[in-house]
Amino acid sequence: MNRGAALTGSLLVAIGLSIFAWKTLVLNLPVLPSNVENLWRVELEIDARGSGQRGSVRAALPDSDSQQEIFDERQSSDRLVFTIRTEKGGQRTGVWSGKFDGVHNLSHGFRVQLSEEPLPLPTDVRKAPPKEIVEEYGHTSGRFPSDAPEIRELLANVAPPNPTDPLGQMRVLLGYVTDEILTASTGSDDALLTLAAGEGSQVGKARLLVALLRAAGYPARVSAGLRLRADKEARETVWAEAWVGGDWIGLSPSLGFFGARPPDLLALRTGSSTLVEETGLDALSSRYRVLRESLRADEVASFMVPSNPLLAAISLYRLPVGSQSALRILLVFPIGALIIALIRNLIGVRTFGTFMPLLISLALRELPLGLGMGLIGSVIALGIVSRFLLERLQLLLVPRLGVLLCLVVLAITAQSLLGRTYEVKDLFASVLFPVVIMTMLIERFSITTAEEGMPSAVRRLAASTAAAVCVYPIFRIQALEHLMFGFPELVLTVMGLLVWIGGYTGYRASELWRFRGLVTPREEEVS
Amino acid sequence: MTLAGRMRALGVLGMNRRNGVYTSRWNQRKHYPSVDDKLETKRLLRDAGIATAPVLAVARLHSEVRKMLRDLDSYASFVIKPAHGAMGNGILVVLERDGDWFMRPGGRWIDRRALSYHSESIISGAYALGGQPDVAFAEERLSPHPAMREISTEGVPDIRVVVYRGVPVMSMTRLPTHRSRGRANLHQGAVGAGIELDSGVTNFAVCAGRSVAVHPDTQQPVVARAIPDWDRVLEIAVRASDQTKLGYVGADVVIDGEHGALVLELNARPGLAIQIANRAGLVPRLTAVDSLVRAEMHWPERIALGREIARRARAGALA
Repeated sequence: MNRGAALTGSLLVAIGLSIFAWKTLVLNLPVLPSNVENLWRVELEIDARGSGQRGSVRAALPDSDSQQEIFDERQSSDRLVFTIRTEKGGQRTGVWSGKFDGVHNLSHGFRVQLSEEPLPLPTDVRKAPPKEIVEEYGHTSGRFPSDAPEIRELLANVAPPNPTDPLGQMRVLLGYVTDEILTASTGSDDALLTLAAGEGSQVGKARLLVALLRAAGYPARVSAGLRLRADKEARETVWAEAWVGGDWIGLSPSLGFFGARPPDLLALRTGSSTLVEETGLDALSSRYRVLRESLRADEVASFMVPSNPLLAAISLYRLPVGSQSALRILLVFPIGALIIALIRNLIGVRTFGTFMPLLISLALRELPLGLGMGLIGSVIALGIVSRFLLERLQLLLVPRLGVLLCLVVLAITAQSLLGRTYEVKDLFASVLFPVVIMTMLIERFSITTAEEGMPSAVRRLAASTAAAVCVYPIFRIQALEHLMFGFPELVLTVMGLLVWIGGYTGYRASELWRFRGLVTPREEEVS
Repeated sequence: MTLAGRMRALGVLGMNRRNGVYTSRWNQRKHYPSVDDKLETKRLLRDAGIATAPVLAVARLHSEVRKMLRDLDSYASFVIKPAHGAMGNGILVVLERDGDWFMRPGGRWIDRRALSYHSESIISGAYALGGQPDVAFAEERLSPHPAMREISTEGVPDIRVVVYRGVPVMSMTRLPTHRSRGRANLHQGAVGAGIELDSGVTNFAVCAGRSVAVHPDTQQPVVARAIPDWDRVLEIAVRASDQTKLGYVGADVVIDGEHGALVLELNARPGLAIQIANRAGLVPRLTAVDSLVRAEMHWPERIALGREIARRARAGALA
């Protein structure tokens, strides 16, 4: 190895490792994330469009309660004024107001720690509700027509009042609305229409339940929030809440819970089912983006008590949710390059293309290895067969590759049509990209077959697949992802190692085999 | 001693060292096109008065393929090649023709359409290094020198000379076999026979990784054979490498029965198998060249130096 490469490599490795050591030993950051359960980062993104008029956008903001802990809130206001309004019952609303001109990208993000602890149902059920709660949530209204004859009649038939067991009565009402009324996304939002049709929307069912609860004498209201699911879009949901025994308990005809909220439910709003509203705008669209997090305990601390701004500033965990997931993949790439360099320059395996194995394994990132290999195998088998059939047609190179691409697309489409379900978050991300890679692989394979013969082509293909299998785990090992994401300075160390490998001029492992005839005693000459 | 240690003691050159120490230092990227484009190489060599295989016709565009094939109508045998091919890929040899039917090695007949399809594939870049658009050209089919004919089958044997900083350092002849389908590539099953640079006589041969004494098809001895016109082979190999501005070149020379020795092509990344065919490592010779070559040396002196180094290497006086 030349001196320059050795020195540069050592320098890079040393810089990377010393920053890593400083962070772990001096700043006491744990190497791997501590086991934080059910911690989420949620971001509300709003695109609001106006043409110069004044208006406002209002979004429900969550509150900490016994089942969720909200912290590290941030928002962007994009030329508007952002204020937080707190209603009488404690509900907070974020308000962006001002002159809406063109498109405004607004956002509000926060972290939430959801409780996994089961919450016991209230025991002292005879405790009378305070007067202001009865006034606010006990009366009949257009939305909650608890005085309507249908409601009264239903209540009398299904669950006659039982002062000794209010929870039992509530349970029966919940059971009725859950089981006897169908949930349909096209159903009505109105309580009475929902009852009459026997089907309604989530909102319709929740309102019907609230009306029934009020008719039975319990203060009740609707609440809205999000179901948080890892790697999937957050879904809005609406449920009812009733005041009993000194506190609100949840009753959900769509999720089916009674009492405590399930551990994946984030409560955003009480007393209404609307999460985002506007006045005076031309158009509004909003979505919630959710990322499951494994923050280190110290980072959680640094966000909750922002006393260590240095620590917080160098954490990638502060980035917006979207760029975080992209960065997580990006930061393990150097490890993949390192493995490829090892395989090619130290072991001496011949693969198709330089980083083709890296691309293959990236393409299969979302699939379990067996399924991924199966996908490669079946697609390639099809490709090879059709490639040899295409050979007879004598097509030009680019159109021929195009036809090949079409066939691969058709094969994958057929596979999903035949009921093969991929347990992946996004079929497109995990299939579209591989299609291109597979097509290139097939073409390389068949050209090598024509030029160097089938055995040579099969050897190269096997080597490429083996290399891909070696790289594949790095995209699946969570700990590695966390390590690189938490300590991005390690990329410098990887660079240093790559410089070392690049400066290595010794033999490759495969050359020991290749040149073995040169060093073994000359027995052939004797015989 | 470990296997790697014994290889190091023998001075075996590995891929990493070839790339990291020799080609990266002596073969500048900007000079690669002069050897990667075979037509460009031929022009360069022709200007210097070095014989190359005659070009019969060229097709740079798809629309010129028809004309190229028409130009070939008066030839009974020829070779169609990509200008940017590597490792002999994309080369189509026609041994005989019968009207619009052409016979390839192994007695396979193809028609004119297949020939034109192959040429168009070449132009589309199917065989080019980076897949970029390429040029197809037809070359005269060379006939092996009578002395080489009995130790090759189905193809033309060539002589690879590795020239380092203008000094020939190692050489071998590559003899096509039935198994290599007429190609002169060792990894496809051709015989590689090491040639003593000072005498021009083969001293060792391998085929498919095993040492051999005779050609597997003709059963004629391949060892202790004198290469005809050896001085001329070394001369054109060295002078051709002088034209390229590359310091580490593999020159492929063919001794044609009619034209004599001519340069077939030059290679900026010559393979390492030549060490197996010679049963000797390149490193001691390259090191000797580094310490002995002088910038003012002309090619005859450099050839003399290369022969002397090879002689001393065999006597064990190097490294």
